[in-house]
Amino acid sequence: MVRPLLEISRFKMYFHTDKGVVKAVDDVDLTVNEGEVVGLVGESGCGKSVTSLSVMGLVPRPPGRVEGGSIRLADRELTHLKGREWRKIRGNVVSMIFQEPMTSLNPVFTIGDQIVEAIRQHRKLDKKAARRLAADSLQEVGISRKGILEEYPHQLSGGMRQRVMIAMAMVCRPKLLIADEPTTALDVTIQAQILDLMRRLNRETGTAILMITHDLGVVAEMCDRVVVMYAGQVVEEADVNTLFNQPRHPYTQGLLQSIPRLGQRAERLYSIPGNVPNPKQMPTGCRFAPRCEYAMNICRTEEPGLFAIGDGQNSRCWLHVDKKEEADRDPTTTTS
Amino acid sequence: MTQPQPLLEVEHLKKFFPIRGGVFGKKMGEVKAVDDVTFSIRKGETLGIVGESGCGKSTTGRAILRLEEPTSGKVRFEGRELTALKGEEMRKMRREMQMVFQDPFASLNPRKTAGEIIAEPLKVHGIGDARKRKEQMKELLQVVGLDSFHAGRYPHQFSGGQRQRIGIARALAVRPKLIVADEPVSALDVSIQSQVLNLMEDLQERFDLTYLFIAHDLSVVRHISDRVGVMYLGRMVELTDRDRLYENPLHPYTQALLSAVPVPDPEPEVRRERIILSGDVPSPSHPPKGCAFHTRCPHVMDICRDVRPEFKDHGDGHFAACHLLDP
Ligand SMILES: Nc1ncnc2c1ncn2[C@@H]1O[C@H](COP(=O)(O)OP(=O)(O)OP(=O)(O)O)[C@@H](O)[C@H]1O
Ligand SMILES: Nc1ncnc2c1ncn2[C@@H]1O[C@H](COP(=O)(O)OP(=O)(O)OP(=O)(O)O)[C@@H](O)[C@H]1O
Ligand SMILES: [Mg+2]
Ligand SMILES: [Mg+2]
Repeated sequence: MVRPLLEISRFKMYFHTDKGVVKAVDDVDLTVNEGEVVGLVGESGCGKSVTSLSVMGLVPRPPGRVEGGSIRLADRELTHLKGREWRKIRGNVVSMIFQEPMTSLNPVFTIGDQIVEAIRQHRKLDKKAARRLAADSLQEVGISRKGILEEYPHQLSGGMRQRVMIAMAMVCRPKLLIADEPTTALDVTIQAQILDLMRRLNRETGTAILMITHDLGVVAEMCDRVVVMYAGQVVEEADVNTLFNQPRHPYTQGLLQSIPRLGQRAERLYSIPGNVPNPKQMPTGCRFAPRCEYAMNICRTEEPGLFAIGDGQNSRCWLHVDKKEEADRDPTTTTS
Repeated sequence: MTQPQPLLEVEHLKKFFPIRGGVFGKKMGEVKAVDDVTFSIRKGETLGIVGESGCGKSTTGRAILRLEEPTSGKVRFEGRELTALKGEEMRKMRREMQMVFQDPFASLNPRKTAGEIIAEPLKVHGIGDARKRKEQMKELLQVVGLDSFHAGRYPHQFSGGQRQRIGIARALAVRPKLIVADEPVSALDVSIQSQVLNLMEDLQERFDLTYLFIAHDLSVVRHISDRVGVMYLGRMVELTDRDRLYENPLHPYTQALLSAVPVPDPEPEVRRERIILSGDVPSPSHPPKGCAFHTRCPHVMDICRDVRPEFKDHGDGHFAACHLLDP
């Protein structure tokens, strides 16, 4: 039985700055089912981190403001939560790990103290029991060296710090782990260790993972389902095989075509023409239209919805709408 | 086939950084950032260098251009020994060798316009007068796919990919023969990455450029390079033709590295055998004795812990440093 754990619907998070409104997340729909590994991909600045920080209640407000929509996690609405209520959710129901573990590990406390602190926020354990649990959680991520609990973050390598972060995030057995570019700062051999670890924790504990990355290789190896974002919106969603074999949105197609493949050598790489739109001046109609080789008239005037196109695949593109229906909807379409 | 004379020859290059501490800044030890590296690049060739973060790729590039004074070793450019050149001679030599930097955000002066940034090397080397330089600057903008109206804009007004184009235009300004490109696409999204890679290939053909291309993305390096060198902890562990390296890697580190690259295909035709190395990369201030890789090598032997393996040709210019390859 597939049960939704995280349901983000029509969610909008805008930033109100001196220089205008940044529609960082603008009408995002995203679901993560229990035990599932979902990949979230898209170009830099498309709103991946703001989406996930919203689930953690970590977007600074102001300048951030929820402009609509809802986020439900384990049957609880999160958008209205206040400071104290967030603390019960964070680390307990949902945890997050970041690209640079140093930003979330405190340099002046030992590894042991930090994990114990994380445990005691949610579990009524005495110091000794909490320390034992901390040591166990480190063992789980493959760190068993003596005295590790007494060490400080700067004494560890990047790969070890990331493993400590994962241990800390997992110690209270959250239902959802959000990983924002967890391996981008690491070398591929260490990345392989971390991905292996995450896969194992997902299998053994049933924790669902929302994996944010720009590396489509990581997505292919880790994820069950993939959500593609462009300019603050979800443009495509499908199970991993469908997304790689039959991408339907022109942006997804372009993205997949652009990656150099290790096994084959193309004479020339494909590249999507043009640049990402400025988030303060989004194009009218479809946000990808200025760069899309299939753009029709309607694409430049009307914003497409996220259309369901079968087998759980969704795509935000007018191409999927029946031609006749499209002509009815769009009086500017000229038939030639 | 006759071997054309190499454009660049690097022999036994070393760069150690002192670690200082205590009240008097006494030398406490050293970081062996580059530890005895040897290779050469032919004219018109692209040599890729890969390896994990901190293995010494950037330091190698910088030591070649003497942006970082080598601790020892030789660097010859068109047969001329660079390490012996004095100030003015070296400055002239820099016209022939330019660098493109990893971070398009940090490497451009935020207070100068794109036009000024691109024309600067022309000014430094006293090429042309102001009018001529402006003309050349506009031409360069065009070469890298920007418009002349971009000349008056400041770096923050450009996207990452556009900034990297400005960095490339600046490097091209003095018509160099060699470009050391230090992770030119690592900070870019895949879709912009492919634009910049295509541009670099076009320019290479058009201006007969030679590239030393540093990256940590193995797919990118395979795409652009003719030959590829793999570094680990300050040392070159393997160097050969691109395809030979990817099809028949000899060094256990290269094998692990290649097997660890995630493939952007959920159902690869052949599921690769994954080699997951245990342990972490040792610190370059305390490199292991013997072979630097022995602490993580799945095939480690006794000799590996004591004797540093020689970097030598195992046939047809396939260089590797590993005791397993010795008969
Ligand atoms: N505090 C803030 N104030 C104003 N704008 C912000 C703030 N935080 C993020 N933004 C903007 O919101 C947009 C989305 O940012 P976000 O960090 O979610 O992108 P991302 O998809 O995670 O990108 P990357 O791949 O580079 O991490 C960007 O345009 C960013 O500049
Ligand atoms: N100026 C310096 N002083 C001391 N140590 C240095 C200095 N520059 C580099 N190092 C050290 O030398 C080693 C090699 O650094 P280098 O920047 O060459 O690595 P790299 O392979 O380019 O890594 P990356 O992929 O992260 O760019 C690292 O351990 C680094 O910390
Ligand atoms: Mg982000
Ligand atoms: Mg570097």
